[in-house]
Amino acid sequence: MAIKIRMRGKSQNGVAEVKALIKHPMESGVRMNKKTGKPYPAKYIDMVEVLVNGTKAVDAQWSGAVSANPYMAVMVKANAGDEVTVKLSDNTGETGSDSIKLK
Amino acid sequence: MKRRSFLKNTLATGAAAVAVNAGLLTPTTVLADWNKKAFNAKTTDEALNGVFGASNAADSGDIKLKAPAIAENGAVTPVTVDASGIDGVESIAIMASKNPMPLVCEYTFGAGAVGYVSTRIKMGQTMNVIAVVKAGGKLLKAQQEVKVTIGGCGG
Repeated sequence: MAIKIRMRGKSQNGVAEVKALIKHPMESGVRMNKKTGKPYPAKYIDMVEVLVNGTKAVDAQWSGAVSANPYMAVMVKANAGDEVTVKLSDNTGETGSDSIKLK
Repeated sequence: MKRRSFLKNTLATGAAAVAVNAGLLTPTTVLADWNKKAFNAKTTDEALNGVFGASNAADSGDIKLKAPAIAENGAVTPVTVDASGIDGVESIAIMASKNPMPLVCEYTFGAGAVGYVSTRIKMGQTMNVIAVVKAGGKLLKAQQEVKVTIGGCGG
């Protein structure tokens, strides 16, 4: 199942703030299950990429300390009508991607 | 004799090529590897060494670090690092000083990006949020204490 992403972005004077809301548990692997006494298995997004018209602009690495259902905002140099893509993958190999046209 | 060694060599290189194609020998990946060393580090200095290869960051007023003074729920602490006033920002790392593994996230910027990041992070207790910015080969930092009042009953 692909990771779900919701994106929004608006360009002003050649710079666009791109916001993304991602649906993901971001389980760090440290949190204990009180019933079994064992930690919940780690499942968190570790690689994030932001592309503008297919060219990589931001390359991020995350740990399990990013909040559940992560929010991310970055700024890229792009104009209205440019295509911005966010690509993700988590430590279990699950991936997700979404793109929007900037307003 | 010559022919034999020739054959040997071609066979060996052939096998290596197959291995590369099959993804067994990933040629030292440029960006794609998750920085295990930095993310598993137990102290902020270790984490910085893992990310940037140095830990001597200088305080800078040009980094605008926005985090709440009091976070009622440490699991969703909003943090914004605005380094757009600095020229040539290459990367930004966000750390929570007393988390078991301090390094939270690390962003590397290409030519098409501006040095700005906003996200939400988990914090286990009251501690400093540290933003480290690499610009023009130098490390700059800003930090702010965030009081975490778990359960929302005041601290």
